Amino acid sequence: MDFLYSYLVLAEIYVLLGLSTNLLVGIVGIFSVSQAAVFGVGAYIVAACTMSDTLSFIPALVLAAGCGVALNILITLPSLRVSGDYFVVTSFGIQLLATAIFTNWTDGTGGANGLPGIPPPDIFGLPVAETSEFLMLSTVALGLGCLCFWLAMRAPYGRLLRAIREDELAVAAAGKNVLFAKVSAAALAGAFAGSAGGLYGSFLSFVDPSSFDLDASILLLTMVVVGGARTLAGSVIGPFVLLALPQLLALVDIPTTIAAAARQSVYGLLLIAFMLFRPQGLAGEKL
Amino acid sequence: MSAYLEVSGLNKRFGGLQALNDTNFRIDQGRITCLVGPNGAGKTTIFNVITGFLKPDTGHVAFRGQSLDGHTPQQIVRRGIARTFQNLRLFTDLTARDNVLAAIAAQFGESPLGAIFRPFHTAREQARRTAEAMATLEHVGLADRAGEYVRNLSYGEQKLLCIARVLATGAELLLLDEPASGLSAGALDNVMTLLRRLQSDGKSLLVVEHNTRVVQRIADEVLFLHQGHLMAQGTAEAIVADPKLAEIYFGGAI
Repeated sequence: MDFLYSYLVLAEIYVLLGLSTNLLVGIVGIFSVSQAAVFGVGAYIVAACTMSDTLSFIPALVLAAGCGVALNILITLPSLRVSGDYFVVTSFGIQLLATAIFTNWTDGTGGANGLPGIPPPDIFGLPVAETSEFLMLSTVALGLGCLCFWLAMRAPYGRLLRAIREDELAVAAAGKNVLFAKVSAAALAGAFAGSAGGLYGSFLSFVDPSSFDLDASILLLTMVVVGGARTLAGSVIGPFVLLALPQLLALVDIPTTIAAAARQSVYGLLLIAFMLFRPQGLAGEKL
Repeated sequence: MSAYLEVSGLNKRFGGLQALNDTNFRIDQGRITCLVGPNGAGKTTIFNVITGFLKPDTGHVAFRGQSLDGHTPQQIVRRGIARTFQNLRLFTDLTARDNVLAAIAAQFGESPLGAIFRPFHTAREQARRTAEAMATLEHVGLADRAGEYVRNLSYGEQKLLCIARVLATGAELLLLDEPASGLSAGALDNVMTLLRRLQSDGKSLLVVEHNTRVVQRIADEVLFLHQGHLMAQGTAEAIVADPKLAEIYFGGAI
């Protein structure tokens, strides 16, 4: 049972990341490959605060979300000046830089060894130690995330962002503030990714740089592509499907030495297959 | 008294090309002014300068006696000047209604915080704006196509939608870049009737147009631009009757 629960918790945390990536990449069209970096910063912040007992879980999570907002605005700022393909390269660089910091700043992040012993969350004095209890916490977070995403996208704000993806100049000609819309979308995506990071670290009680590297960013993009770009349903389905995959692969009798490589290959093949044959994903719109 | 829109001493150079060369003109409120001239005369460049998309090297634009120099496109739309594009630039993945809605000024729920924390207010405002957008679509004759995606609209319908979108901004001076080009005879009549109707609604129009018959039918006044300079200003009859202008316009064919 615990096994199923932890799959659900992780999938729900990844849905928050999926929302973040879908908002930025799918809806606004800012092709960021550095969402895992923001995810990581959220995780390390909550880890550092709760381990040193400077903040309890909820304030630490709020801080992580806040830092996610600030960081994601910084990261996407270049997209306001460089467009399209060039931004992908910039974003790629940001992701590599973040991984380098996570790996080498041993005092802060524990370096490649990671940070073990992150205490379980504590909600107003109630410890959330069991996986089943954590499932409730992550389900609440998922619900809030989906609600925010849905409300924002059905509002004029969602339409504005879609219009920006199609033709920024025409949006400016209609008298709209394109800069504010893009920056606020980055902020919202950052809040999702930062808080997802905080939940992730507290749940696993251990974080290391491998969860927040380029592979993780690409996994997020794969989730959005497979689930479906631009829709709430797509952002939810993608993580559940892709995180089930390693479990399914575990049922197939392959040597553990190649299991990780096999998983990555399957992700890669899925990405290519969906792009070629079903660009709208399982429940989305064409990217 | 200051002019409604006044353009003075505009110069704009793109590399070796002098797109605007000391351009001066003023237009009056409530009229349809046509901007004509051969290809490369600087008509679209003028639009880009007036609407703040392009900064002139020198020169000024003033609207209702107030300078627009250094204003962003957004500020200029708020002042009451909005434009369409020659290549339409519609949002093709959105419906006709959403294209119009996207252009309506100052809507509640255009920031994420408003949308998330005041969902009911957003929804109510949205219903009101949707009614507004429908009225605008009705006005240009596209009400029955409101739910259609732009990519499924005919070219003529897309042209009308551009006008609906510029109306939605609430601007009083509309800059239309070739609203009638590429249209069939029937659609052309539609657009011309619509432009006249906008004028009687109190809008002022500055229209780039190539078709001399259209110009003769709709223009209260014509500005003739050549090599970025205003060559002549007058009624359509006077401009068409001038053999020198005809030679520039038609390249000596007549």
